[in-house]
Amino acid sequence: MRVLLRLFAVLVLLGGCSVTPEKDTGTVTFRLWDEQVARAYEESFAAFTKQNPGITVTVEVVPWADYWTKLATDIGSGTAPDVLWTNTSNFGLYADNGALLPIEDPQRAGWTPSVVDLYTRGGKLWGVPQLWDTIALYYNKDLVTKAGVDPADLTWNPAGTGDTFLPAARALTTGNVYGFNASLDNQGVLWDFVGSNGGAWQDGDAFVFADRPKTVEAVQYLVDLIGEEHVAPPAADTTTNGDKTLQLFTQGRLALFQSGPYHLRAIHEGASFPWGIAPMLAGPAGRVSVVHGVAAAASAATRNRDATGQVLRWLGSAEGVRPIAEGGYAFPGVTAAEPAFTAYWKKQGVDLRPFLDAARGTTFPAPVGPRAGAGTTAAGSVLEQVFLGQLGVEEGLRRAQSAANDAIEE
Amino acid sequence: MGDAEKRPWVGYAFLAPSLVGVVGFLVAPVVVVAVMSLYRWDLVSPARWVGTANYRVVLTDPALIRSLAVTALFVVIVVPAQTGLGLCTALLLDRRLPGSVVFRAIFVVPWISAPLALGVVWRWILDPSDGALDALLGQRVEWLTSPGLALPAVAAVTVWTNVGYVALFFLAGLAGIPGQYREAARIDGAGSWQTLRLVTLPLLRPTTFFVLTTGLIAAFQTFDTVYAMTRGGPGGRTDVIASLIYREAFTSFRMGRAAAMSVLLFLLLITVTVAQQRYFRRRTTYEVA
Repeated sequence: MRVLLRLFAVLVLLGGCSVTPEKDTGTVTFRLWDEQVARAYEESFAAFTKQNPGITVTVEVVPWADYWTKLATDIGSGTAPDVLWTNTSNFGLYADNGALLPIEDPQRAGWTPSVVDLYTRGGKLWGVPQLWDTIALYYNKDLVTKAGVDPADLTWNPAGTGDTFLPAARALTTGNVYGFNASLDNQGVLWDFVGSNGGAWQDGDAFVFADRPKTVEAVQYLVDLIGEEHVAPPAADTTTNGDKTLQLFTQGRLALFQSGPYHLRAIHEGASFPWGIAPMLAGPAGRVSVVHGVAAAASAATRNRDATGQVLRWLGSAEGVRPIAEGGYAFPGVTAAEPAFTAYWKKQGVDLRPFLDAARGTTFPAPVGPRAGAGTTAAGSVLEQVFLGQLGVEEGLRRAQSAANDAIEE
Repeated sequence: MGDAEKRPWVGYAFLAPSLVGVVGFLVAPVVVVAVMSLYRWDLVSPARWVGTANYRVVLTDPALIRSLAVTALFVVIVVPAQTGLGLCTALLLDRRLPGSVVFRAIFVVPWISAPLALGVVWRWILDPSDGALDALLGQRVEWLTSPGLALPAVAAVTVWTNVGYVALFFLAGLAGIPGQYREAARIDGAGSWQTLRLVTLPLLRPTTFFVLTTGLIAAFQTFDTVYAMTRGGPGGRTDVIASLIYREAFTSFRMGRAAAMSVLLFLLLITVTVAQQRYFRRRTTYEVA
């Protein structure tokens, strides 16, 4: 069997046309999925090699579409990179199976605490925070001025009391302009609404959203914004095209767009109107933003533990992640490098404070667990029907929950 | 010849280049998948022998049953439609009107294009708010998210992709029928419909068999178009078997179960192909003259 598995791994590798070169002592491989940020890392590692002349770091980019498939086969066949980017929904599988080295590092105090929490599993830390996202509200200045809406302080409430958001969304919806991007966007909308209503999505690794009345209530409110109030684009438009709401916003056809800093560049380059960033919508439980982070993890199969450790220490230092911040790519995982990122966008006339405030407030963790990705995908195909109005919210959430829990089962 | 018979390895040496390909990329993966279906393996931790447990789980999984039903419906729409339309197209192009060579090429363009790219283009054409089709109809139709329309829409795009390719085979088949048969039929007083039904179609049977068999297998294995257009939605209405296998393997990392499903699909396709072959063998003649 081992031989067959090896053979299979070889076939998969051949399919991916990948050749992993023999590792010399002093060469550390680093893998990520973002071609843009790879440039920042090249710069970072050039500085690293200057300080550590014995070690060179090779950066390899594997596109997102193949990243997890390729990583799994590479780890299975012992050809994994020494250091690799991971997200929250995927590292659990590797951490649980001993494929990663736990991080033991005294620099921890300087790292973004919420990201450290996300990558703490079984009492150990499994990744060095590299970058993070929180959620805020992009708004079209022309449209909110015309409708007389102040986007800075909008509160929604499923009970209706003190709901300032719904009247604003109604006022902003005119002709072919929608007020708000209510849609099945987990990170930017759905989980933030759930959190801001005091609901929960997971308990440990298990999905529990259908059992929490606060969660059901929040989802009902969101779905009604689409199907009843019509202040959001029809779900049929947004479910088959995940970028639809971003496109509508940059075309000036969406007034309020709740999303993360990952869309800063697209909006900055695409919008031909004045826009700003306000704090995310507040719910009955306040503003609770999803926080998601990317971390650098070390393969347990590394043949070069010392050099790999040194690279990780570098990546956990302010100098190590500064190119990511300075290039305007993302909020860095090391707090001391944050000002470089906000300074970059200040120069472009964009104030990022709402994202920072969201990170310091109550946050809602992105899904975790060894098969969280599978659970989210399974739930998503049922939730899609809920948002389309083809399934009732309660019934839909129950079905989505059992589908998600089936998918994460061993 | 005599030398080669005495030394069979010469023959194998000549075969070697293609043999390496067949064994490495066809036989070996099939064997690996069959073996893998008896293990539990998430790609990361060591594989564990579980015997036929994967098959027992998979065969009682409602998702697989539903997916097989979706796939069967998809095949039932796609295969007759693409074969029928392909035949009609071939008959029209066979008239050798000016420009038919150009049309022949145009019809094949969708087939040589990447299905993923086509899926993305069609998703855009079918977009309910900004799509070209709804603009043309002057009516909002949610093609890809309505439970009743999603599968027909994906099937229509698949048929559109394949028609030109199918027509090419029929054209070649038609070219292989000597003109005197049809001429004789005409002299005997057969109308064009009778000629088609009693002369042309029976002589096209080898082509029809090939087109149906390959078309059926391809339809059962459809993945890219569905992945690009609906990802199996809404609510699993377009969740064809290949899409389910992919998810089981690469989002749930349950390689053993995915392999078991693949083996079942393989057996199903062999059964269907053999049945088809039996049916056609009784009715087909490869002799024309």
